[in-house]
Amino acid sequence: MAPVPMPSALTFELLGKCSVTKARAATLHLPHGPVPLPIFMPVATQASLKGLTPDQLEESGCRLCLNNTYHLGLKPGQATLDAIGGAHKLQSWPHNILTDSGGFQMVSLLKLAKVTEEGVRFLSPHDGAPMLLTPEHSISLQNTIGSDIMMQLDDVIATTSPDLARMKEAMERSVRWLDRCMQAHKNPERQNLFCIIQGGLDLDLRRECTAQMVERDTPGIAIGGLSGGEAKDAYCKVVDTCTGLLPEKKPRYVMGVGYPEDLVVSIALGADMFDCVWPTRTARFGNAITTRGVLNLRNAAFSEDFSPIEEGCRCVCCRKRDEGGLGITRAYIYHVTAKETAGAHLLTMHNVQYQLDLMKRAREAIIEDRYPAFLHDFFAKLYSDKGKYPEWAVTALRGVGVDLLSDDAS
Amino acid sequence: MFEGDGTSKFSQLPPEMLDFTILKSTSALAPRLGRLSLPGRTPLLTPGFLGSTSRGVIPHISQDNFRKYTKLGGVYVALEDFIEKHPQKTPPIFSPDGPESLRRFIALPENTLLVFGARRQPPIPTPVANTNTEAAILTSVGFKSISSEYYAAAARKLQPDIVVGLADIPFGQETVGTKRKDKMSDRTENWTRDIIAKRNDIEKGGEEKRWNIFAPLLPIDRDLQSWYLEHLVDEMADKIQGMAIYDAYLLDDLPEELHHLPRLSFHVPASPHELLRQISLGMDLFTVPFISDATDAGIALDFTFPAPTKPKDMQRSSRHSLGIDMWQSAYSSSVTPLTEGCECYACTKHHRAYVQHLFSAKEMLGWVLIQLHNHAILSSFFSGVRSSIESGTFEEDMAAFEAFYDPNLPEKTGQGPRVRGYQFKAEDHGKAEKKNAKAFRKFDGEGTEEKVKVYAAHGQQPSKKKAVEDRIDDEALIGLVDLANVEGVEGLSIEDDSQGYREPQAAIEHRS
Ligand SMILES: [Zn+2]
Ligand SMILES: [Zn+2]
Repeated sequence: MAPVPMPSALTFELLGKCSVTKARAATLHLPHGPVPLPIFMPVATQASLKGLTPDQLEESGCRLCLNNTYHLGLKPGQATLDAIGGAHKLQSWPHNILTDSGGFQMVSLLKLAKVTEEGVRFLSPHDGAPMLLTPEHSISLQNTIGSDIMMQLDDVIATTSPDLARMKEAMERSVRWLDRCMQAHKNPERQNLFCIIQGGLDLDLRRECTAQMVERDTPGIAIGGLSGGEAKDAYCKVVDTCTGLLPEKKPRYVMGVGYPEDLVVSIALGADMFDCVWPTRTARFGNAITTRGVLNLRNAAFSEDFSPIEEGCRCVCCRKRDEGGLGITRAYIYHVTAKETAGAHLLTMHNVQYQLDLMKRAREAIIEDRYPAFLHDFFAKLYSDKGKYPEWAVTALRGVGVDLLSDDAS
Repeated sequence: MFEGDGTSKFSQLPPEMLDFTILKSTSALAPRLGRLSLPGRTPLLTPGFLGSTSRGVIPHISQDNFRKYTKLGGVYVALEDFIEKHPQKTPPIFSPDGPESLRRFIALPENTLLVFGARRQPPIPTPVANTNTEAAILTSVGFKSISSEYYAAAARKLQPDIVVGLADIPFGQETVGTKRKDKMSDRTENWTRDIIAKRNDIEKGGEEKRWNIFAPLLPIDRDLQSWYLEHLVDEMADKIQGMAIYDAYLLDDLPEELHHLPRLSFHVPASPHELLRQISLGMDLFTVPFISDATDAGIALDFTFPAPTKPKDMQRSSRHSLGIDMWQSAYSSSVTPLTEGCECYACTKHHRAYVQHLFSAKEMLGWVLIQLHNHAILSSFFSGVRSSIESGTFEEDMAAFEAFYDPNLPEKTGQGPRVRGYQFKAEDHGKAEKKNAKAFRKFDGEGTEEKVKVYAAHGQQPSKKKAVEDRIDDEALIGLVDLANVEGVEGLSIEDDSQGYREPQAAIEHRS
């Protein structure tokens, strides 16, 4: 039984489609302003992005970031969020927020979490008291948070689980929980609830789940349960299978993906939205994301490298002094990494800007219908020779009509 | 405006003459108003303060935020923050050619005054003693010594605006014998002559930038440094541009011939009251280490000068606190600014509830916001001091301030960041918390080797025990946990992926 369709608080404006791959470019109009698709969303777990002010995040081009429902539910808690008037006001963020359901954090962070039909049972990390997160409670929290995109509570288990029966149960329970989430959702006219397709790596389960979820007509659709350490080939097959069954006019969000090559391949497979803590977390260890790969600036080789983190990068750190930037060098990042918090802030800004800029360049390429050439160029810069291209990426892209190993870059 | 690569602009600067104009002064030991100006830099009004940097940055304030949100006209930078590779290797800071390499390296704006000294303020006592030719310093990897020539060469290469001359002071020593004091004055005189000679080697008005020199006034009785002071007056008065004062209560001993020079205090103030006392003696310029100390302790400073007048109906017997402890949960739903009327970024854009949340969640942004706020509080404080001197009410305003506020900053209650290695101070010794004690013992004993291992661990990413990962990577960076005591740190592998990407991580890495 599918409940009555919900109103939607977004519009999806399709701007262009790649004529070879399944890549799409769009503008997603959300309650707090339009965002370009494809999009990478930085993760501000506890209503703060690793030391950056909301203004610094805004300056890096971000207009949609993540908060984690589980964390905000613990701190500052629902009562405080209610009193303050939601997460936008808590963190003075005028743009869009997406929240997860909290279920994933429970299951992954708390060893003692147990899933029943009612919800997720767990012990409070504060005082050890038994607690229960139900779909209704998750939605109530997300309604209080006021996120522009909310995620349904889903039953998440590792994709690598060999237990097919449990996988099927989780998939079917996720569908039932979506119904309960839709029922509980109080603000469909100003908050968008996304469903999450489950089913592990079993393509039949994924197909079945996709059909059930699509029938419920949520404003957007997520593909969940991935990036859990499964083989990249299997990941690509799931994404490819799901997007093939999804309506064209809805945003598609693949949860937990963030390595640059994962992003560009997933876009080619028809996905639009991504999030990952990796770019910001890795910054704190001195890792700079660049077109040529990740540079670990803690390496002594960089102590005398007075070039920018990445030549040509438009972030405030890399821009030259006479272009209004800071002219920060690799040597300076080496000098402050892990010694001053500001070092992490600088590199975090660069990494966020890199990810957003990558999405921007992909989007332009799709709109101009040269995404296959973009892919060729991307991998050519990242790897010194074709022999080093990851096989999964070559295979996945071949499946959507792009042969990375051919010399013809069109 | 065309600026080319920025190089041309530097060389077009007029001679680097520091000008100090005393705008108001009533008598020798009285508060005074002044203006410190240097071509190309924003003039600094005194009494005023310099931002204290650590490794080239004011802690928690990235350089873009420094530009946008602070009103600091000058910063103090210590050489010891940059030369850990000395003497085995030439420290990287000396590699780049071109003008003002230090300013460019630390991304300091063009118009900010750059004051350069050998040691951080306050300096950490060194077990290594100074010698006739070398001064002891502390880098992030341990104690070292530098010669006076090395210091001058560093100044020549780095091109700061003002160089504070090397002083021979046995920091941390309770009592110093008379013989040792004689040596202090002899060595300091020699070192001052050195830095002057090296500066004067550089052609006036030439291509190469000359620096301004602040000569030390030692924290010893006048008769013990009388030769030094006499020579300063007779032979060096026209070659130095300011004085660095290590004991404000010895300002009385400053020869009158040097009164026209700006006075930079290296007498560490513990509170705003002490700042006022020093100002009342005629001090001009300060570094204020208690700003960052308060920030690290989670205390948002909350005072104004002059103090507010107490409303009649709200007479209180108790004095007002100088700061708000953001670890306390009292403000968790309060959407008011940290300090009513404060114009800082934290107060105009955010509210107490958010700052409270950030501390509760141990998010780095909490420290960023109160550090910006605390600097703004001091900027307003000094601007209030200048107006008060201007209008001739300083003495009364100071008395009213002392009556209105607690004499000391609030005790820290929360988990202040673990005192970070070479930044910690001798005073912390006695009251070091348990988790600090171990580090200090090691530190105090055989040098810094153990300590250095802890730093190295900051850069390591736990790859196995996911449950502790978040805790470690966030809290270690802000110093909330001592990695040595965190379960699960053993067996960490150094994440060294300088080439290419890492293998896919487990789900938690992606999504938590
Ligand atoms: Zn950059
Ligand atoms: Zn403020």
